[in-house]
Amino acid sequence: MLNTNSARMGIAGSAYPNDGRHSDRREPSKTKILLMGNPNVGKSIFFTELTGIHAMSSNYAGTTVTFMEGRFKLGEKEYTLVDVPGTYSLDPTSEAETVATEFVKSGAAAIICVLDASNLERNLRLALELQQYNIPIVYALNLWDIAERHGIEINAKLLEQELGAPVVPTVAVKKQGLNELLKQLENMLSNTKSADHACENANCTSCPFNRFGKHGNDVFTSAKEISRRVSRKTKSNLKFIDKLGASMVKPFPGIPIALLVMALAIAAVVFGGRGLRAGFLLPLVQGLNINGVYYGIVPLFQWIFTAIIPEGMLLNILIGEFGIFVISFEWILALIFPYVLLFYVVFTFLEDTGYLPRISVLFDNIMRKLGVQGGSLIHTIMGYGCAVPAIIGSRAATSRKERIVIAVAICFAIPCISQTGALISLFGEFAWWMLPAIFGFSILLFILVTLIAGKFVKGKVDPLIIEVPNLLMPNGKAFGRKLATRMRHFLKDAEKPMLIAIIIAAVLAESGLLAIIATHAEPLVSGWLGLPSEAVTALILGIVRREMSVAPLLALELTTLQAFVGGVVSLMYIPCISVFAILAKEFKAKIAIIISLGTIASALFVGGLINHIGVFFGG
Amino acid sequence: MDILSLYTAPKNTKYMVVDVPDVGLLNSLGLRAGTKVTVQNRYALGGPVLLRVEDAYSVAIGKDIAKQIGVTAC
Repeated sequence: MLNTNSARMGIAGSAYPNDGRHSDRREPSKTKILLMGNPNVGKSIFFTELTGIHAMSSNYAGTTVTFMEGRFKLGEKEYTLVDVPGTYSLDPTSEAETVATEFVKSGAAAIICVLDASNLERNLRLALELQQYNIPIVYALNLWDIAERHGIEINAKLLEQELGAPVVPTVAVKKQGLNELLKQLENMLSNTKSADHACENANCTSCPFNRFGKHGNDVFTSAKEISRRVSRKTKSNLKFIDKLGASMVKPFPGIPIALLVMALAIAAVVFGGRGLRAGFLLPLVQGLNINGVYYGIVPLFQWIFTAIIPEGMLLNILIGEFGIFVISFEWILALIFPYVLLFYVVFTFLEDTGYLPRISVLFDNIMRKLGVQGGSLIHTIMGYGCAVPAIIGSRAATSRKERIVIAVAICFAIPCISQTGALISLFGEFAWWMLPAIFGFSILLFILVTLIAGKFVKGKVDPLIIEVPNLLMPNGKAFGRKLATRMRHFLKDAEKPMLIAIIIAAVLAESGLLAIIATHAEPLVSGWLGLPSEAVTALILGIVRREMSVAPLLALELTTLQAFVGGVVSLMYIPCISVFAILAKEFKAKIAIIISLGTIASALFVGGLINHIGVFFGG
Repeated sequence: MDILSLYTAPKNTKYMVVDVPDVGLLNSLGLRAGTKVTVQNRYALGGPVLLRVEDAYSVAIGKDIAKQIGVTAC
């Protein structure tokens, strides 16, 4: 019955005020169905289940400033389902709400409005506001199970009468009620022709679409009255997960739990990534020795190319020490891929459980002392994955100052997961304390940069206002799809810069150009930073991709001090070309340039300082 | 009726909001005059307050806004 032919993602928000409208132009409103609701009601799971393509949205408040659309079939007809950013109301008070309002105003064949049954009154306000736009609506009364556990019983039939539109109880994570919802939607769409007609010149109060319009009560009063009429308190029967969700946001035991969760998350990424690399990807790439013959990806390419290409520069560029086919697999597949995968497994899980807003609440006091607020902690954690989605995600911040300060701090102080993967491998050859030391340094740097940037960026930061959603077990399918989408995005976005960096590396190394550059850069690289002159490759490639500021160091014979200096320079160095582009796009080219020059200068300065202090104390 | 600041109002007592600053997000989240709230948690060192709103959902509000919200016991 359902069938997905294609899906695409658009980015909505004030930086791209036209994107929402573009989408409208592409999709005639007659085949468009809007999926709407408050944040945290499980809207994205409906989208996944209905279209088969996962929406890159999250279940914490206000961060869904991107939207997705996907095709799905209803009976014989094909429709486009648009996952509209979660919104509490249609008053355009934030970017997400502005986008949602624009979608509704531009019209649609129908709206699927997802309501949180455990929180009916507030959800009904949006439900009623939507009725003012003369678009047929079907309501999904979701989180029905959580409402039951909280001792809330809702008479869905009565609610249907009150709203004058179909209401279907659902538990989307368990796929309950979805077929019934589609049936109601199909019925409604085949009957709307006449309904549409009747409403065209309607100011009639009998018309269901106008019942709560400008003439009636305001939505606050109506929502309260309807909610009171249709719901009844029964005995609550909270499960372990509900109690855990409540404990996790109390200062005690919430803060110890948060520290434990973070420690477990780091351990999972570091040790899981290491295991995946050593146990599977490295043998796959470098080859396993079976009876004297190596079987693996790189040996395969070496075998093919040596058979068809004569020895010389071309062969070296392809499969030499820095050859394209050697580096692209060794650095990308074996070095960073395992860590990227593990990071997104952990992050997506934390996100889908609704845990992340709890961290924002618990540590808002510290963030507030730094001049920002707890909400930014989520974007900072995202930055440990990649700065690009972190900076896009920070659109949810309500003040421009907050966005810029956090973007700057992420660029200066937060290593991305690709870089972290490379650092784990680099430090793995030296001492165990180096990884914790560099992360400790990263946190100190984050504090310092946030404080300094807060002094320079004009404006003020809005205090924290965040909904803390119910804790829930993620839906396996939605989790898998979201993870797959994230990995696909990572590979797609990384592809071009990686290739560019690898080609530069191969050409520099094999053409002899590197030796010339190394001689000229010697005073800086060797004199000031104390690194071998070949390390200049890391500084050149690091501009393109972050892990490339570490990876070339792996092939060099370094001392512990040199490895640590290399790590610090890499950490503080310019983020990468993709981040530069997103900074210029989201803010101004000027900000991107200031951040780039500032990071390069401070990285080289601090790296040299550590080198000289180390040499002084080390003798 | 005594008006207390939400930021210092004791925990686990039901209050009615009487005075609230004009912030769009507060209004969208249903925090307006007449809303019934309970303070669930408070966080040291200038942290936020966590409210249960209308016995239905939890919202955390930063100190600098919570101080401006006036409530009375009900």
